[in-house]
Amino acid sequence: MDDLMGLAEGIVKKATGLGAQDAIADVYRNRNFQIRFSQNQVDIANTWRETAGWLFVAVDRRIVVTEVKDFSKWEKVVDNTTMVARKSQENDEYGGIAAGPFEYRSGPPDPKIVQLDDAGALVDAGIEAALKAGAKETAGSFWRNEEEHHLVTSGGVQASRHGASLYFSIRALKSLDESGHGVECATTLRDFKPERAGRKAGEIAKQVDHPEKGEAGKHDVIFDTLFLGSLADQIVGRAGAFTVLAGLSPLKDKIGQQIAHEGVTLYDDATTRSIGSRPWDDEGVPTRKTAVVEKGVLKTYLHNTSTAKLFKTATTGNAGLVAPTSYALAVEPGDRTKEELFAEVRDGLYVTNTWYTRYQSYVTGDFSTIPRDGIFRIKDGEIAGAVKDLRLTDNILGVWQRMEALSKERQEVMWWGEVSVPSLVPYGLARQVGFTKSSM
Amino acid sequence: MLEHRDLADLAVDQARTKGATYAEARIERHATEFFLLKNGTLDALSVSEDTGIGVRVLVNGTLGFATTNTLTKDDVRSTVDDAMRVAKGARRKDPIVFATEKAVRTEWGVSEKRKLADVEIEQKLEDVTGIEKELVASKIPLVARMFQAATNRIDKYFVNSEGSQILSYSPRVRLFYFLTCMEGGDAEQTYRNYGWSGGWEALDEWDATERILGEARSLQKSLQEGKKSPEGKFDLVCGPQVSGIASHESCGHPTEADRILGREASQAGKSFITADAIGQKVGSPVVNVCDDPLIQNAIAYYEYDDEGVKARRRYLYKEGKIHEFLQNRETAAKMGTRSNAASRATTYSLEAIPRMANTFVEPKDHSFEELLEGVKHGIYMKSFMEWNIDDKRYNQKYVGREAYLIEDGEIGAPVRKVVLELTTPAFWSAVDAVGNDLEFEAGFCGKSDPMQALDASLGGPHMRLRDLHLR
Repeated sequence: MDDLMGLAEGIVKKATGLGAQDAIADVYRNRNFQIRFSQNQVDIANTWRETAGWLFVAVDRRIVVTEVKDFSKWEKVVDNTTMVARKSQENDEYGGIAAGPFEYRSGPPDPKIVQLDDAGALVDAGIEAALKAGAKETAGSFWRNEEEHHLVTSGGVQASRHGASLYFSIRALKSLDESGHGVECATTLRDFKPERAGRKAGEIAKQVDHPEKGEAGKHDVIFDTLFLGSLADQIVGRAGAFTVLAGLSPLKDKIGQQIAHEGVTLYDDATTRSIGSRPWDDEGVPTRKTAVVEKGVLKTYLHNTSTAKLFKTATTGNAGLVAPTSYALAVEPGDRTKEELFAEVRDGLYVTNTWYTRYQSYVTGDFSTIPRDGIFRIKDGEIAGAVKDLRLTDNILGVWQRMEALSKERQEVMWWGEVSVPSLVPYGLARQVGFTKSSM
Repeated sequence: MLEHRDLADLAVDQARTKGATYAEARIERHATEFFLLKNGTLDALSVSEDTGIGVRVLVNGTLGFATTNTLTKDDVRSTVDDAMRVAKGARRKDPIVFATEKAVRTEWGVSEKRKLADVEIEQKLEDVTGIEKELVASKIPLVARMFQAATNRIDKYFVNSEGSQILSYSPRVRLFYFLTCMEGGDAEQTYRNYGWSGGWEALDEWDATERILGEARSLQKSLQEGKKSPEGKFDLVCGPQVSGIASHESCGHPTEADRILGREASQAGKSFITADAIGQKVGSPVVNVCDDPLIQNAIAYYEYDDEGVKARRRYLYKEGKIHEFLQNRETAAKMGTRSNAASRATTYSLEAIPRMANTFVEPKDHSFEELLEGVKHGIYMKSFMEWNIDDKRYNQKYVGREAYLIEDGEIGAPVRKVVLELTTPAFWSAVDAVGNDLEFEAGFCGKSDPMQALDASLGGPHMRLRDLHLR
């Protein structure tokens, strides 16, 4: 079916005709392409053609969400969805969807990305840069994403958007314990420099030379952008109102409180140029720049219309179809150069990436995460060797409260689960961060 | 009956005609229901059906994969063309080859005592809401409660250019809960995943209400009576949940052949195990860790993998030594061996790669009481909350959720947040006795790009580990 907007209109019209008070149809077409590589050569090339839609209906405060995959059966799907809603249970906390229409600002995607059908040279450039910088082995993936959405709601929204982006992730290794990681995000082909990610990954791998086992204890730490992106993800990811209500956040009852160092300001901002940018949320509310943390103070949770009513505030334009979510985040830059951050560390660590972040208690924020790739010892502001096998074991709010300086330089990062939301982040310096290691 | 099987045959024929040396197609239909209860409120209910095709081709030693959810002949032809085009565009020095396999024509399926399709969604909602109501009635101060239930009926047709045609039906049920207990300004949290291959009888088989109530009571007991665990050298008796997570994280993952070969290096990581490590010691002689797709009713039950290879039990660690890797046909060819049917994908739209299924410590001969009898001064870690492991699968950490002191072979007072942080060989080498019980729980195993969070089971018996540093 080519008339996707017409289909979205038809779905909402039918759902409301069947008695739904609220209905949202988001009909989309994705055309994605990926190259995965390891051992410096391509493992597989993947392409996806997906045309489908999401349907949200509320019948007497009974909510159902359905994915419409087979458009030849869309009327039957709408019938079934409203029928299931009638059989469902009432949601006392449901507060409706936003009333539009709204005005949006969005531009077309870069046609050079849309037309890109051979990315071999881009992948090669990333791999070669890593090898030239000193790596022996590389692995990673290249993505070309293109998505087209048509949104219609019973709240009067009718809108279309078309976006495209490029993403490159590369890990460079000299050996199992000598590795680095780089990523590259862009919304234009001109700005896309996979060799930059490859070079960074390769340089880190080269610099990790026969790492020794690290020492447990409290260390002053410089966080590279991938790591800081993960820490920022943990704050904004825990700031969704649903997450707070479900007991999955240390931010409950902390609005107005100092949860981070006074130099930390953290925005949810899908309006900026980012691979996560989008003009509206899943209810059609225009996205906006929202300070979640301002000068270290927690200012708001992320809301949709329902959770906003529950918290007696306004939606922040972060509706997912069920729970509020962040689409893109940004940490305000600091006032130091990266070199100045290093100069402020007499004896500490520089950590370049992390993974496997898990909590002992979401209420308190006690957690651990495992630095991977280059971990370096800093002595008197200079890198003085590499270490390995350490685990950051601390409290997520405590780490942010001790994040006393940030760099002017920022990078957009996103990475495989750990940085789930595209994030524009600086380098950071935190004092006295806890590290543990295997006892035997 | 799964429709559109002819399109899978068409895709394979077309790929072969256009020059693929190997081609396969998977048509899958996933009929899913999902609901989420938060503090007693039904926040989300989703009912969906997704049918589509994934086509993988091998062309001049390079792999291409393409997928569509629009099932017309024209779209499937275009999808095959996509797969051929991207495969031809992928440059490799070393051609990919597949280990040989026999063609298979068969059907398999999992039976349901209470067919998922026959149990109305209202009944499913009522059953899970009933557990929530029991929790509220218990008066345990559970300030946050979340339940997620999901069913998935997977019909699949696999066909390849070597003559295999496999039709299967796999119904699955999941129940996840997350509880927060708060008393005196202090909090304890827990979560658990149950999984089942079969029908809606799953809730009864799990004895879900009683188990979850028991877990809630233990949260309250930890808050009321628990003290921070002491630090020092202790013997440890760990429960099936801990045996299971260790099996999965520090045995199953490091023995995945694609990880050993570096194909996952940028995502889920590599492995401390090298390709030539078969036979090397990694634990005590009483340790056998298996991965077995054929465990009845375990959520990762299957009879043939997503490359059409017949499933069997794999001994990953046997008598304390590295015994076997998890292989698909690509990795098996690289390592000069045969596939052991570990190739799986979460759905039609993603490539199949080596994955765990149901991974567990093989039970032995000790009763729980016999394991305790041998401990003068120790800790019983029944379950855990926080855990993680590095990307080479060597340094791991488990923080106890429900744990108790053991004094002279008797379970004593509850202790909180006991931390076990050690290397993989240290963990498995410390095991001196393995229980005769066996319990599984479900997990989502994360790997690949895009991320494939795949159904997996983690399990084991109680085990006794000697002389560990705990804090």
